Amino acid sequence: MKIENTKAQMRKGVLEFCILSVLKDEDAYVAEILSTLKDAKLLVVEGTIYPLLTRLKNADLLSYRWEESTSGPPRKYYGLTETGKLFLEELSSTWNELQNAVNIVTSQKNNSNE
Amino acid sequence: MNKTVNINLGGIFFHIDEDAYLKLQGYLESIKRSLANSQGSDEIIADIEARIAELFNERLKNNKQVIRLREVDEIISIMGQPEDYVVDEEIFEDDPSTNQNKSTRSKKLFRDPDNSYISGVSSGLAHYFGIDAIWVRLAWILLVFGAGTGVLLYILLWILVPEAKTTAEKIMMTGEPVNISNIEKKIKDGFDNVSQVAKNVSDSVSKAAKNVDLKKGTNSIKSTSKTFFDSLADAVMILLKIFAKFIGILLIIIGASTLIALIVGLFSIGVADIVHIPGLDSLDLVNVGNTPIWLVSLAIFFAVGIPFFFLFYLGLKILINNLKSIGNIAKFTLLGLWILSIITLVIFGIRQASEHAFEESYIEKNELFIKANDTLMVKMSHSDKFNSSFSRDDFKLAHDDNGNKIMYSSDVRIMVKSTSDTLASLSIIKSANGRNYETAIARAKNINYHYEVNNNNLMLDAFLTTDIKNKYNDQEVDIILYLPENTVVYFSSNTEDFIRHNTHEGHLISDKNTNHFIRIMDNNSKCLDCPDEDFNVEVDTPEVKIDSNGIKVESEEVKINISSKGIEIKSDQ
Repeated sequence: MKIENTKAQMRKGVLEFCILSVLKDEDAYVAEILSTLKDAKLLVVEGTIYPLLTRLKNADLLSYRWEESTSGPPRKYYGLTETGKLFLEELSSTWNELQNAVNIVTSQKNNSNE
Repeated sequence: MNKTVNINLGGIFFHIDEDAYLKLQGYLESIKRSLANSQGSDEIIADIEARIAELFNERLKNNKQVIRLREVDEIISIMGQPEDYVVDEEIFEDDPSTNQNKSTRSKKLFRDPDNSYISGVSSGLAHYFGIDAIWVRLAWILLVFGAGTGVLLYILLWILVPEAKTTAEKIMMTGEPVNISNIEKKIKDGFDNVSQVAKNVSDSVSKAAKNVDLKKGTNSIKSTSKTFFDSLADAVMILLKIFAKFIGILLIIIGASTLIALIVGLFSIGVADIVHIPGLDSLDLVNVGNTPIWLVSLAIFFAVGIPFFFLFYLGLKILINNLKSIGNIAKFTLLGLWILSIITLVIFGIRQASEHAFEESYIEKNELFIKANDTLMVKMSHSDKFNSSFSRDDFKLAHDDNGNKIMYSSDVRIMVKSTSDTLASLSIIKSANGRNYETAIARAKNINYHYEVNNNNLMLDAFLTTDIKNKYNDQEVDIILYLPENTVVYFSSNTEDFIRHNTHEGHLISDKNTNHFIRIMDNNSKCLDCPDEDFNVEVDTPEVKIDSNGIKVESEEVKINISSKGIEIKSDQ
């Protein structure tokens, strides 16, 4: 078992949740989503996001609109749909539970180690 | 200095160096392939292209600037390797039906050079059909021994199926999707194989060392059974390899001996044709189409020799693993030559056949001074020079009294018919084949046939002769002897082989009637001195018995016995 694979799986597992979270308050185009995720070190390479965005869009969690740009070609602005918002809420609560659970488990282990 | 290419990426125009362009193109292609199974891959590609265009745009100061390899490398490191684009299906899969694409992914037929015995055709086919290569090889062996068609088929596949040279082709051959991760896997497999071999060697050494205390160990059953099956598999593999080598040796022997025989044959025929060795004239006789003999023999040489050469090469390949290929040019040249020879032979055959298209006859009719009640003695006259003890359709060469070369044949047949004329007559029908009526009739006329009449003796030649330049064209002579009614004819026993067997068309004498006096009647004949045929009836059943002793009939009520003693009838009642 390779540590890189496990790491990548962990990251990919929460990536959908993070993308939806980025779009929670305002619509954004891909470069903005990417910069947020890269700043948070959630993404190493940009390529990963494109299939995910398409998948979320196909699942009707996201929608997009074209907007003209001053510095280049038109940009795709992504935003949450109503189902996307519900989906995000559910994911948020799951994430909180999961975070708690992981905290409990890992801290217990730390305690026992001490 | 670099050549540049103009591209339209995501709706923006770019100048790009050619090498950078090729790299970018390859990168996008591999992304496309790795996304081939995802939904909406076109849209994803469009998004990626738009993003790359955006990134390029950020890096270019003005419109005149050209994208170089450095920029492309930079973009690739930002965007990630193609496998980064693949969403981990196990985590994100919520629609299992997309999985089915994998099994129907198209495979391509390649020759597999890594697992090849001869050229990798078998292992390529095995990959293609998803079976073990050993079954394909067994099928080949069966085909080769079954009808020999396997050899030709194999050679064709060998020539026509490309070898999997690149890693991408090797992956396509096994049916896996071509993407970076698979190529990487394949290369790693290659290294693993090498290390595996090394490991196996060291394992076997340590295993041998361990063997001493294996029986005591707790894992002994598992280990011994494993080693047993391993060694069994090894033994089977070794046997198969020995078998394959044996077949290789066999192929080499067959191929080489046939080739040597052909070369010797071609050489001797070629020399004979140039030097004019007399014995070879018989070949010339059959060659009615006048096709040059060297051409025909060369065609036969190639038509037969080339397949055997491949057989020989095949055997060599089986024996020697690292044999260098003879190259596609050589293979195609040989194939072309082979087809050419076949065509030549077919044309030769057609010419030969067309020479026999017409059969014409030339008839000579002569009177014999034989009247009714005369007795005619018929004999064949054999010549010391023309040995006629060979089959009827054959022909031989000789020299006539003037020293000219002639051919002769014993294709002479005799028929006897009755006639109402007062004198007997003899028809000699000479026939031959030819390309058309004229050549056929000319050849028929050129047949020499003689007979002699001496008192009441008719001496018929047992052979016909003709000049050698007429060639062998089914020359034959039919003799019809017309005899008036009430003449008696006596065929000497040496005519037996020449008298027609069948009795149609009024033919009156059977070949069994030689050495007998036969009276000719109107459309009929009567043997004058044939012994009466024995009347022989034997019946042997419980009720009726007929044999040399007499006739016995027995039932529960009556018994009848007819014999030389008389007739005896017994009745119980």
